[in-house]
Amino acid sequence: MSITIGPLHGRARRAARIEQLHAPGLAPASLIYLLLATPWARQWLEATMSAHMLVQIPLLAGCGFLAASALGEARQARLLAALGGPVPCLLAALLASSYWMLPRALDAALVDPLTELAKFLTLPALVGAPLALAWRPLGAIGRGFVWNNLASMLAVLGWLYLAAPVRICNSYSVFDQTHAGWSMVWLALGLFGAWLGSLFVRPLSGPNRSQTRVSTQEGQAWTT
Amino acid sequence: MLTTTHTTTTDDRGAQTGVVAYLFTAAAVVLLMMLFGLLMRLEQAQLIEMGPQPFYKLMTLHGAGMVGIAGIAGAAVMWHFLRQYVALSTGILMTNLALFLAGVVMILTSVLLGDFHGAWTFLFPLPGQSMGMWSTQAAALFMAGLLVIGVGFLLLHLDIARAILARHGSLARALGWPQLFGRDDGKAPPPTIVASTMVTIVNLIGLVVGASILTMMLVNLYVPGLQIDALLAKGMIYFFGHVFINATIYMAVIAVYEILPRYTQRPWKSNRVFLASWSASTLMVMFIFPHHLLMDFAFPKWMLIMGHVIGYLNTVPILLVTGYGALMLVYRSGIRWDMSSRLLYVSLFGWAAGAMPAFIDGTISVNYVMHNTLWVPGHFHTYLLLGMLAMVFGFMYYLGKPDRDAPDGLLDRIAFWCYTGGTLGFALSFLYGGKESVARRYAVHLPEWVPYDKAGAAFALLLISGALWFMLRFFARLGQTRHDHARTPEPASCPAVTA
Repeated sequence: MSITIGPLHGRARRAARIEQLHAPGLAPASLIYLLLATPWARQWLEATMSAHMLVQIPLLAGCGFLAASALGEARQARLLAALGGPVPCLLAALLASSYWMLPRALDAALVDPLTELAKFLTLPALVGAPLALAWRPLGAIGRGFVWNNLASMLAVLGWLYLAAPVRICNSYSVFDQTHAGWSMVWLALGLFGAWLGSLFVRPLSGPNRSQTRVSTQEGQAWTT
Repeated sequence: MLTTTHTTTTDDRGAQTGVVAYLFTAAAVVLLMMLFGLLMRLEQAQLIEMGPQPFYKLMTLHGAGMVGIAGIAGAAVMWHFLRQYVALSTGILMTNLALFLAGVVMILTSVLLGDFHGAWTFLFPLPGQSMGMWSTQAAALFMAGLLVIGVGFLLLHLDIARAILARHGSLARALGWPQLFGRDDGKAPPPTIVASTMVTIVNLIGLVVGASILTMMLVNLYVPGLQIDALLAKGMIYFFGHVFINATIYMAVIAVYEILPRYTQRPWKSNRVFLASWSASTLMVMFIFPHHLLMDFAFPKWMLIMGHVIGYLNTVPILLVTGYGALMLVYRSGIRWDMSSRLLYVSLFGWAAGAMPAFIDGTISVNYVMHNTLWVPGHFHTYLLLGMLAMVFGFMYYLGKPDRDAPDGLLDRIAFWCYTGGTLGFALSFLYGGKESVARRYAVHLPEWVPYDKAGAAFALLLISGALWFMLRFFARLGQTRHDHARTPEPASCPAVTA
């Protein structure tokens, strides 16, 4: 996919639009989104708290992430600049995703079509897309921080669902609540393990220079 | 066999401002915490009278402060040498220090103004059930302070992971696994990289667990209905705390790997045994913490057995490899001893000697009668004072040395013996107290325990005087620390050097 910088006119603009529509990521995102919106998928995924919270909601956010990632780099950069940079995007994603973790929000989405619509609009637009725009500019440290924080807070959220002395959703049973709590704890462990594990297997880029120092002005410079 | 050879140049890299700031902070806080410790021993010895509440406030500050500052001092050593191999961020280094200081202020406020004195272990449900001794806000401030400090260290380790990955490609390569499990191509990463990678892996895991339990307990403080399983909380706290304090010595030992070879003009090789020991400890450090829970019969039996077995196993690899490596490095090297090399060398003795009481206490049948006695403070004071801190003081002397042949003063040598002798006597007073079943964490001691406390207080005074001199010497030489110049004297009979 080419990167377009600056204003485009006429055929070039049309070509860019066509190219954009064929961008990898956009088609799968649209397909998943449409599938999730079908009554069959909604009924199936909203039948249990675990599937609602840990499958449907992340997939909706994922659609937004994929769609925003499919934008060209220049468009992403312009959009990110217009939104104020990676930190506001990250905060927006954090706040919107936190809202949809609230039991009351889940209940409302099940009984109120407008809230359900809001869920289908805000999760891709306010969680997935801002996260995709902010992801690369966050840098390795920022991304690592997000992963670690996600793992930690997901585990805490799981504990909250397990420790709650009352049934927290009108629409789901206590059994569902417990199942969702444990699922979040295991998911947190899995996500953190996967992130840390990925650092062990990342392919080496460039020559192995492990025995040389950054500086040559050292008292003890090892060479092989 | 590795084909590592070495070349010599004249300069040793000076410290960056951030490293000097870390060491300055570490020295100041360690000195303050040592004085708090002395006051506690004087109270137990019935030489002063402050009462139980101030005692437990000091104990809380002493415990949390020493664990945190050991992390800062260890990070200074690691960062100084690691940046010579990989490109680290100075901004992140300073951010960690700023967050650490902010956390310290929060903890000091919680303890001194809010009267929190639930010990550094903040075991559930004590912070939330103080029976009117401190407020919910004070407990929350203490735990939030720890959380802020943890965030700083998380950023530091993420930066280290980033830099190591950028240079070595993966953590597996940085641990030398291709050389350990495959063909030895002689390109094993140097000890500093291996040690830093290990510390980063275990601390990242520990910090995430620590952040989780701290957040859970903060929630519980304000919504007590959301109960925490007390055993789970204890397990998570000890996992996080034990990994963190263990990691401090694994950071500080980098000073031994980097500085002693300069004195002996012999390289510290990353051979297969070295790599295997660090990889084994990477795993074992995370499973050793149940040796602190052996008295908690309600823990699953497999965890206690694991704590027992791994407690035995983990004592051996790195300590043995490092101790033996240092002996081989020094043997017939013609090393010229000065304060830095002396302190680094004695630190290996302190580490080994300090690990032994833990090894003994890790035996379940011994643990039942010894764990709640002064035996355990005897273990970690030897390990930290004569092991970890001696490495840091050795590093401070190395940085502050004006030139390679600058002689040590008489007061330096006296301070060395005051510190070494004082620490040994101080630790033995704890260990002997433990043998005599003196309970730990008691503000008031029985009359028959007081003689050990008096001896402990006297030796504490001796070791503090030695440490004070080390620190004054470092402060006086701050200007030297940032310059690139030769700091280590050549061996008396310099061996042939191949370039």
